[in-house]
Amino acid sequence: MTIKYKSIKEIKKMISNKEISNVEIVNEVFKNITENEHLNAFITLNEEDSIKKALYLDNNPSDLALSGIPVAQKDLFCTKGLRTTCGSNILNNFIPPYSATVIENLESAGCISVGKTNMDEFAMGSSNETSFFGNVQNPWGENLVPGGSSGGSAAVVAAGIVPAASGTDTGGSIRQPASLCGITGLKPTYGRISRWGMIAFASSLDQAGPMARSAEDCAIILNEMCSHDEKDTTSLNENIPNFQKHLNESLKGKKIGIVKDLDLSSLDNEVVKVYEESLNEFTSLGAELVDITLPNLSLSVPTYYVIAPAECSSNLSRFDGVKFGRRSENPKNLEELYVQTRSEGFGDEVKRRILIGSYVLSAGYYDAYYKKAQQVRRLIKNDFDSAFTKVDVIMTPTTRGTAFEMGSKGSDPIQMYLEDLFTISANLAGLPAMSLPNGNIDNKPLGLQIIGNFLDESSILNFAHMYQNVTNWHMHTPDGLRK
Amino acid sequence: MDKKTVTTISYLSRLKIDAEKEDKIINDLDNIIAFVDQLNDADTNNIEPLSNPLEKTAKTRKDDVTAKNLKKELLEIAPSSNEDYFLVPRVVE
Amino acid sequence: MSWETVIGLEIHVQLSTKSKLFSGGSTEFGAESNTHVDLIDMGLPGVLPVANREAFYKAIRFGLAIGAEINQTSTFDRKNYFYPDLPKGYQITQMTKPIVEKGSIKIVIDNEEKVINITRAHLEEDAGKSIHDLFEGETGVDLNRAGTPLLEIVSEPEISSAKEAVAYFKAIRQLVTFLDICDGNMAEGSMRCDVNVSIKKTNESELGTRAELKNINSFKFIEKAINYEIDRQIRVLENGESVVQETRLYDSEKNETRSMRSKEEANDYRYFPCPDLLPVVISDDELKEIISNLPELPEEKEKKYISEIGLEESEAKIISSSKTMANMFEQASSKTNDAKLVARWLVGDVSALLNKENIEIDESNLSAENFGKLIERISDNTISGKIAKSVLEEIWENGSDVDEIIESKGLVQIQDESLLEEIANKIIKSNPEQVLAYKGGKDKLFGFFVGQVMKETQGKANPKSVNKILKKLLS
Repeated sequence: MTIKYKSIKEIKKMISNKEISNVEIVNEVFKNITENEHLNAFITLNEEDSIKKALYLDNNPSDLALSGIPVAQKDLFCTKGLRTTCGSNILNNFIPPYSATVIENLESAGCISVGKTNMDEFAMGSSNETSFFGNVQNPWGENLVPGGSSGGSAAVVAAGIVPAASGTDTGGSIRQPASLCGITGLKPTYGRISRWGMIAFASSLDQAGPMARSAEDCAIILNEMCSHDEKDTTSLNENIPNFQKHLNESLKGKKIGIVKDLDLSSLDNEVVKVYEESLNEFTSLGAELVDITLPNLSLSVPTYYVIAPAECSSNLSRFDGVKFGRRSENPKNLEELYVQTRSEGFGDEVKRRILIGSYVLSAGYYDAYYKKAQQVRRLIKNDFDSAFTKVDVIMTPTTRGTAFEMGSKGSDPIQMYLEDLFTISANLAGLPAMSLPNGNIDNKPLGLQIIGNFLDESSILNFAHMYQNVTNWHMHTPDGLRK
Repeated sequence: MDKKTVTTISYLSRLKIDAEKEDKIINDLDNIIAFVDQLNDADTNNIEPLSNPLEKTAKTRKDDVTAKNLKKELLEIAPSSNEDYFLVPRVVE
Repeated sequence: MSWETVIGLEIHVQLSTKSKLFSGGSTEFGAESNTHVDLIDMGLPGVLPVANREAFYKAIRFGLAIGAEINQTSTFDRKNYFYPDLPKGYQITQMTKPIVEKGSIKIVIDNEEKVINITRAHLEEDAGKSIHDLFEGETGVDLNRAGTPLLEIVSEPEISSAKEAVAYFKAIRQLVTFLDICDGNMAEGSMRCDVNVSIKKTNESELGTRAELKNINSFKFIEKAINYEIDRQIRVLENGESVVQETRLYDSEKNETRSMRSKEEANDYRYFPCPDLLPVVISDDELKEIISNLPELPEEKEKKYISEIGLEESEAKIISSSKTMANMFEQASSKTNDAKLVARWLVGDVSALLNKENIEIDESNLSAENFGKLIERISDNTISGKIAKSVLEEIWENGSDVDEIIESKGLVQIQDESLLEEIANKIIKSNPEQVLAYKGGKDKLFGFFVGQVMKETQGKANPKSVNKILKKLLS
């Protein structure tokens, strides 16, 4: 018996039918981790605790939603007593004295956190190449990037090591790697999931979410991730629906917004073809395509690259070598302690963003950049607000293409920033958005993005699940099509 | 973006820029700033800045002491501390 | 050449909440180092602030008391700078929309009233403490204070002398203690201030370049530091040099200010709205509730004491000047029918004892109940004023009950006039020369006879009766 490429439902059934024990599952996961060491997808493993918990569950079977389900946690979530690095040298030795609310929620739903996944340093990157702990290999091909920043999480799900992983998404960090690794990943509405214990990159954009092999599994995980958390005042007090409830609703008469302002001409013909084929699939399920405009969409990347660095420059000030994390050796004085600790502790991309952030917030530039970006942010949000008066969801490609080769984006940071062209606007507007596999080019997967209205993850999950009922792109694995 | 500006912002950020990387970094930052200058295309007259997508008001807490004494744990994770304090090289004022 | 001084004060008032501004850490003073540090106060990765509503209420009380505008929607910003006792690398403060704006307070200088306008009062978090002199070559950091709520009260640059600055600071201190939003304890750093000083030629409208004097925490040092700084700036200008805009530290041992270059290099704080904190809104109902619970302020008390109780203006002023005095007066008065006598004793003997020991009345052994009883025993003639003094001294020493002291020491006043007459007769008989002199016109000797009777009765004789009897016997 194996859990490889199995869904959460299937694994739970195997456990309850005693076809496999919790301990056997954990053993299989760690065997697969070892066999897939070349993926470099984990930074820290949690083997001992995982076996302990599995043993406990074998002796005390439970019907919790995620009982015995092995889950990989992005190394951006604080885990009490388990090293948490955020992909950075500066937190190389950091063992948090507390756990993120997301981790607590998932673990109290019975899941087994098998380890902490590799990621771009402080979630700043789109290829997992900025991690202090080295690149993650995309299971779909040697030398291919898994995307980023949740690259490790995407890779371990894609390789079938675990059925699900946690991710975080500030500008596309769940959706873009999901697209490049052929899995399904959801960034919920900003505020849906508590940020307590998530190491902040850009506080007004960051949101945690599930990464799994199907929309249904995302719904199951999302149900457990959400809670009203008094520790995060930006977490919403809204009613938390059962996200599985509307999965099978008919799409008849439902409206899909197609963004007229989106210039697809720069994309490969094949990418456009994959996108259009999936739209056809939806129309044959009864949904209707409606043209919408998002006039300020083209400004979303520049807006993001003012706001995110500004917030990060401030959020990352706490990494100063005084209270936790790494400190440089033998600083002569306080100034040297700060400068050396931070210069040695942060990688180039993180430094670049801190510098940009300091610049756009500095006296004389605040209005021209930061305030301006906040105003454009409102314009973008207004565009979505009016679009969602006409449609249920909006669809775009998730990425401009399939997984690219490591190092291929060269040394021009803007080329990498444009990777997030389609995903960033949802973060700026705080909207939920998903990527799900919708095609394959040269045996490399590709994703479709579905953006939903504020708090309407259910519609996204409904569209995605209905699509996955009639297509098998989500069943494609690096080992071939899953039966 | 000139050398002086980069020196100022790297000082504010407490980051040292290696001499051999300096030109490349200045060039990158320059390009990024030129890139975000596209924002000038937008007409933002009378547009209220949006600093958080939740246009809600804050939840607050009651004035209760809920914290435990974490002295030992917190000093333990510090890079340098004694039994009572976090330690840094002597600050002269 | 004549120079004019322009001073503005930024007073940091620690609000007396139980917990911190953004965490459930305790604000208790004097605890063992780093024991009141929550995950949030430590600025650990991933933690988030949650604002303490009580801090807003306290700030609003201050705003109402100075007739200011209350921003029912206020927001938080981050002020970015590096320092070891600033755990997050930024301070959360209210830059763009402070809770309180545009108020004023009256001060009295040489019997003249002057109004000082207050630009704003905003909430912010305090930093921890750096201890520089305890360890060889190292600075220790104690984060107990980190996150304690501060109300920063910023005056307009309308103060024109060190003396006015002190009067202003005292007025603020009096107000915040009356409002019960701060304990006003200067020694514990509950109130600290930064002073902006500049000078300009008389008649010139443009302000001079200012220097900021940091973190001064006693009235005496405020005055000294400002006076030193004024002299220094005049010297600089008269030498044809110019004043540098900078932060200066006052050294109380050397009585001088000196430049803190370290703080100067990084003065771009890159303020921006704190993305972790949404705007805090105080409802109309909450505001109404705060208004209706606003305590009586010194000025109102002073007026009431004069018009309703009939105190002298000077007494009313002294008693209403401090919250502890006013409390003592009001509580003791409720135990006796003679509020005026309470006032007289409070301003007289009690104040003298307080001044001698340089303490506040609530730090003494005198309780309002005991004090009220003491006054009552004077006014019901149980003891004389003179005896009362010794009783007060005894209470001062050990806090004993008034009636117990009177009883155990047998201090009850002698009211029995026939007994007193007997004693008076005895005195007259044994002092024939003085009697003769008195009758010969030496009126002053009357006091001698009173004194002798008092001596004979160990001070317990009722002075009024003694007067009456002696007058009769000596006439």
